[in-house]
Amino acid sequence: MNGEDLIEMVLREGERLADEVEVFSARGQSVSTEIKRGIIGVAEESEAWSMAIRTVRNGRIGFSSTGDPDRWRDCLDAALASGRLATPQRWEGFPGPAAFSGVPSSADRGLEVAIEDAARMVDDLLAGAAEHPVDVIGGSADLGRSHLSIANSNGVSYEMERTVVGVSLETIREQSTGYEFDASPFRRDIDARAVGERAAMLAARSLGGRDIETGRYDIVLSPVAAASLLGQVLVPALSGRNVKAGRSPLADRVGEQVFDGSLSVYDDPFAPGPGSTAWDAEGVPTRRLLFIEQGVVRGFAYDLKTGYRYGEESTGSAVRGGNEPPAIGVHNLFINGAREKEPGYGRAVWIHDVVGAHTANPFSGDFSVEVSNPFWMEDGELIEPIRAAMLSGNVFEMLGEIVGFGNDARRVGRLTIPSIRLNNQQIIGK
Amino acid sequence: MSDVRYYDIRRVRGEVTRIDIDNGVVESAATSFFDRTVIRALASNGWGILTRDHVDLDSKHEIETLVREAARLAAVTKDRLDLADAPRGALPIPPLGEDPREIDIEEKTRLLAEIEGAARLPGVTNTRANYTEGIDSVRFLDSEGNEYSYQSVRSGFSVVAIASRNGVMQMGSEREHTIRGFNLRGRHDLGRRAGEVAVSLLDAKIPKGGMQRAVLDPELAGVFTHEAVGHASEGDLVREGASVLGGRIGEHIGCDGLVIVDDPALHEFGFMPVDAEGVAVQRTEIIRDGILASYLHNRETLAAVGDGMPGHARAEHGAPPIVRMSNTFIENGDATREEILAECREGILLIGSRGGQVDPGRGVFQFNAEYGYLIEGGETTGMLRDVSLSGEILRTLHNITLIGDDRRMNPGYCGKGGQVVPVSDGAPHLLLEDATIGGRGE
Repeated sequence: MNGEDLIEMVLREGERLADEVEVFSARGQSVSTEIKRGIIGVAEESEAWSMAIRTVRNGRIGFSSTGDPDRWRDCLDAALASGRLATPQRWEGFPGPAAFSGVPSSADRGLEVAIEDAARMVDDLLAGAAEHPVDVIGGSADLGRSHLSIANSNGVSYEMERTVVGVSLETIREQSTGYEFDASPFRRDIDARAVGERAAMLAARSLGGRDIETGRYDIVLSPVAAASLLGQVLVPALSGRNVKAGRSPLADRVGEQVFDGSLSVYDDPFAPGPGSTAWDAEGVPTRRLLFIEQGVVRGFAYDLKTGYRYGEESTGSAVRGGNEPPAIGVHNLFINGAREKEPGYGRAVWIHDVVGAHTANPFSGDFSVEVSNPFWMEDGELIEPIRAAMLSGNVFEMLGEIVGFGNDARRVGRLTIPSIRLNNQQIIGK
Repeated sequence: MSDVRYYDIRRVRGEVTRIDIDNGVVESAATSFFDRTVIRALASNGWGILTRDHVDLDSKHEIETLVREAARLAAVTKDRLDLADAPRGALPIPPLGEDPREIDIEEKTRLLAEIEGAARLPGVTNTRANYTEGIDSVRFLDSEGNEYSYQSVRSGFSVVAIASRNGVMQMGSEREHTIRGFNLRGRHDLGRRAGEVAVSLLDAKIPKGGMQRAVLDPELAGVFTHEAVGHASEGDLVREGASVLGGRIGEHIGCDGLVIVDDPALHEFGFMPVDAEGVAVQRTEIIRDGILASYLHNRETLAAVGDGMPGHARAEHGAPPIVRMSNTFIENGDATREEILAECREGILLIGSRGGQVDPGRGVFQFNAEYGYLIEGGETTGMLRDVSLSGEILRTLHNITLIGDDRRMNPGYCGKGGQVVPVSDGAPHLLLEDATIGGRGE
């Protein structure tokens, strides 16, 4: 028993023992082919089921999860035990059934989760890579479908389908490496051949780079590099929990012009994407949420727990990762702004990616990272590779000095972001 | 199953307990359960791998069905791989001091709250502490008749303090994870230290970027060992042509006297009694007296590459085994810390770690210190924040000019291929010439 009957039973039993109860359940199937020595070396198929229970009693929230339906009773007991330890807080209930404010675009109905299709995507990756003189050192193609449901003792019972199609390829030529990837809910969005070609181009063209002197340079961060740095620093600063806990430097700046007037940041849960959904991870209807409008901070993301505690309204921003309690996150975050001119105008250093973005200081915004596949760019064209360098800066200051955005927005995880031109940034040569 | 050359099955059942205290509020204190099984089969070419929830390992019928399904998947693979023979046997699990399973979660929560509270010094605006306890019951069997089972108990905590003043925010953090039993008692000192570091960093300066002489403390030197050498010595990366250390066995890649080891048998946080393919674990010297001596291998990469030791296959529960580090370290030399600082004269001392990353194919790595000090005239002076260092594997190891005598191991977690496993790494103090320091200070 691991379907609706089980969920119904946990809800009935949980209601007897707590004021409120919520059950979030996921089941899914995925297949993956992995490249070894330039051909398919591993074929994987995975089936998974999980259930997460939350109970609330006198403002104390309990949580547990299990991957074994036979242990549902242990899981419910563990949730209740966990609730006895949690600090009580103001709590006004799980949501009841409500109207959604949009239609998500999260699943490819026709997607077949078949190992043969994953193998075909690998063939396409390899065909793309063959356009340049490189060796393939890794890569994969994945297909997956999952079914998510949430039910609570206030009568909410929602279900949704999610699909994911992903490809990646790593290439090398001598000591020059290239990595590219793409992922979408929709099979038709994924051009595996183009991903393979780009990964190979990066390794092939980065070969023989020349040194760069330490100094100040105008730079262009590709969408991948920009997403790595902003994902580590800007995204946590938008979480209401970090704002209220004194961990976000944006906390007291709502209504202020903090960033460049061209910058807008918003979450659109109805846009097609890996986080697309009409209800959040605790059953609250999602909505389009504006964080930064033309450089002015407009607001932050909240879930029920943080919202009730601090007298804010949930913004439908709860997400779940693994088998952990729901937490504040983003669904499909868009970062963009006015595109005044080609961001690679004149001469600039173009940076494809960075190594070590996770070591950036999320509170101060300071970072120093190694750059990957840096090139001299002239009027938008990659002219000549640069051997190795570090980039040092501060993400919050950078967002105040944006010179322009590219016309090349792409999805990197849950972020959609174009390339960003910044002038006078610190590069350390070696 | 006549076309199946080999199969193995690894089931991990267990519980994870996490406690999260944020600014004195118990946000959650919860136990969750899992039961995942990975079935691998080799037919004519490469692996077919299935992952399932709660498989009955005592049902012959169920195992046969799953192995056949894994073999069917393997039909799309083209890369023929073979498995090398490897020594078998499992080590005893070191005894736990105090068994965390016998302490109730109320007491754990209270002790963690005390550590978190100790970080709340004047100037500190946010404190947070986490406790994690993982109980894994592992059972393994393969088509060659090997079978073993064991239980591992890991626990530990981290504490973070954030200090702020006039819009400037800085952080201090401490952590301790162990396989040796419950470790939350009497650790206020670590909470206090996190708070002190956060407050003192408010007055620290950003370093000036460029080439400098650097002294690494044992914790950061351990991360350096892991990022700069450990990953590039992993046999799967070597086999794929993705490591700059490929084809360099016997080459002088580091300074004289440099010994770098990965030892899964060591009773540190990366310990395992037997590897995830049922192979006996043993100390592996990656670099011996500056010369590249061994790669880290599983059975398949040993067969394909050679030059190294098997017993380095590891897996997160519910994921297939891949080549991983366990306890990675630089052996002691004979310099004292004082001698190293004196020899450095002018440079930078880097302390603690905020993590790192490597591109092993390009041979370039980056890692970040929690903080540092300027070294002037052989003495530490002004405090520095947000110090990071990058380097190239094949050059940097030659630039180690002094090796200390004070090795310490530090626990942590390492990510690779989407899997996170517990590791430790360590080293004595090191003196590094021509280190590339990141920073935009003047």
